[in-house]
Amino acid sequence: MSSTMILEEKDKFLLNFEGQDFSFEAKSFLKKRESASQALRKLNFPTTKEEEWKYTRVNGILKHPFSPQTAVNVPDIKHTLIPNWDGNLMVFINGFYSAKHSKIITDLDESDVVISTISEAKKKHTSIMDQLYGIVAGYKDSVFTALNTAYANDGLFLYLPKNTKLQEPIHVLFLSDGEDTSSQPRNFILAENGSKATVTISYQSLDDSPAFTNGVTEVIAKDNANISINKIQLENESTFHVSKEEIVQHTGSQVNINTITLSGKLVRNDLNFKLDGKNTTSNLNGLYITNDQQHVDNHSKVFHKKVGGVSNELYKGILSGKSTGVFNGKVFVEKEAQQTNAFQSNKNILLSDDATINSKPELEIYADDVKCSHGSTTGQFDEEAVFYLRARGIGEMSARKLLVSAFAGEVTEKIDHEITREYVEQMIQRKFQDINE
Amino acid sequence: MIKIENLHANINGKEILKGINLEVKAGEIHAIMGPNGSGKSTLASVLAGKEDYEVTEGKVTFQDKDLIELSAEDRAREGLFLAFQYPVEIPGVSNINFLKTAVNEIREYRGEEPLSAKDFLALVKEKQALVEFDKKLANRSVNEGFSGGEKKRNEVFQMAMLNPKLGLLDETDSGLDIDALRIVANGVNKIKSNDNAFVVITHYQRLLDYIVPDFVHVLYNGRIVKSGDKSLALELEEKGYDWIKEEAKTLA
Repeated sequence: MSSTMILEEKDKFLLNFEGQDFSFEAKSFLKKRESASQALRKLNFPTTKEEEWKYTRVNGILKHPFSPQTAVNVPDIKHTLIPNWDGNLMVFINGFYSAKHSKIITDLDESDVVISTISEAKKKHTSIMDQLYGIVAGYKDSVFTALNTAYANDGLFLYLPKNTKLQEPIHVLFLSDGEDTSSQPRNFILAENGSKATVTISYQSLDDSPAFTNGVTEVIAKDNANISINKIQLENESTFHVSKEEIVQHTGSQVNINTITLSGKLVRNDLNFKLDGKNTTSNLNGLYITNDQQHVDNHSKVFHKKVGGVSNELYKGILSGKSTGVFNGKVFVEKEAQQTNAFQSNKNILLSDDATINSKPELEIYADDVKCSHGSTTGQFDEEAVFYLRARGIGEMSARKLLVSAFAGEVTEKIDHEITREYVEQMIQRKFQDINE
Repeated sequence: MIKIENLHANINGKEILKGINLEVKAGEIHAIMGPNGSGKSTLASVLAGKEDYEVTEGKVTFQDKDLIELSAEDRAREGLFLAFQYPVEIPGVSNINFLKTAVNEIREYRGEEPLSAKDFLALVKEKQALVEFDKKLANRSVNEGFSGGEKKRNEVFQMAMLNPKLGLLDETDSGLDIDALRIVANGVNKIKSNDNAFVVITHYQRLLDYIVPDFVHVLYNGRIVKSGDKSLALELEEKGYDWIKEEAKTLA
């Protein structure tokens, strides 16, 4: 495909986004949008000729007339909620906050914690937003991040003051509804020194129609802060999902991201960790279970910039049908980052002859006193184990489910919020049931 | 209990079982001995329902049902238990969880209510004690990192938990030292009753000192070529298998 054709497609695609009215926002935010918009004009959608996008074709996105929607009223979203959820809940439908379905239980008057939306924060927390919003997630080389920054809808704004340990977790639920809906979720988390919080972000569809979700999450973890994010992707089989988490970590901080991908037509996740302080800990875990023609691409980059950082990366995949998976994890250890420990592992089970995984763990090390390892394995279901279980009276389906749970368990056990973990386990079982039907 | 008639079975087109006839009644212990490659383990696998094998001829009746028509799990639910020669390691599946699933799926098949957590744990405790199975092992992943002896003891523990009608022990003695052998054999003897039966497949007579068989059969070249009482095992121990091979040749 020629680049001019991509260009034409791009212009046509972007037409639907232009002309959105953000004039109610303060000038400084309009300026941020405008800069991104300018960058967007210069950037092209990637082709598979680019190393970073070698296995993921995004031109399918451009072929749909995806467009932003206005706020919609959806009466019942119960089936998309996490059962027994015990924390805060923030629901966004097609990118717009739905106060009706949301519930903030943390007593915000009692503390200086801010659990709010990006749109509210642009009005009420202008100094943080002016200074930091849109800075961590650079868009100069990413058309998707530029698109999001130029046309961002809404999302979580979380501010954790010094030493504040948020007891109640936050569930941020992004729902998509209607034909060819495009939404641009945007989250921002600023965790001051010694603060702590758990956030579960899930993406779901309210119908079967094609949609395009392009999300960006920025996280700044100051000294000794501790942030856990559980990202659960459950959109329908015709939805394109591209999202990016940009994380900056300062001294002694810990950030955990568990990415669980169970559906979607095409999913691309980019996780970028910039470890800008000493003795940081970063845990990146991922699980993807795919079938039919699904395509799931997990890219990550971890930049060890200072002494004593630890990064652990474990991604596991179960692929069936004609689905494809991509794992590309890069760890950079800069010269200054001595005593870095970086571990990377990608393990896959292929359940069919037509499923494919492209796995590429990479290390780039410029320091000499480091411990780094990486590995990748791909195999089949252990049929001996299936028979062993059946020989004990366990039905074939249950046997396979037990083995899937066991394989996935190594990732799901990293989710330290129990209700989220139970939900994920349930969703995994349901997905596996679907695959086998 | 089980009646095997003229059983023939292939793997990858090669005939391994060439007409086995055997009947085992409740309360009996049968030993099947024979040289390497005679088809002993194939017989165990075919009876347990391993799909790599193809039954080409013959009939197996178990508890009045056509065994060959049943899936591996239904055979287990009907009360057949194979103690594996090489128990499989299953990382991430806890022994207890696995047994709970097994017990309750078997109960469901028989139209019984699932066991309550309390009753299940009581059963675990009772059977652990019965077969001297280490509590710590019961909570670990199935066979993961177990020694050879621990794996075999786990097989006997599982057998005690599932309380089968017919236990098939496939070279359960292989790789066991004398203490482990004794514990495994004691476990089997404690499970044994007038309502169940055992088929003990072994290469050596040693195990039969502890699990005393009512009948001993010699399998050679896919057929049972000789049957007798426990003295046959002693004779084999003393004289080896060559005379059996010679006899079989003469007969053929």
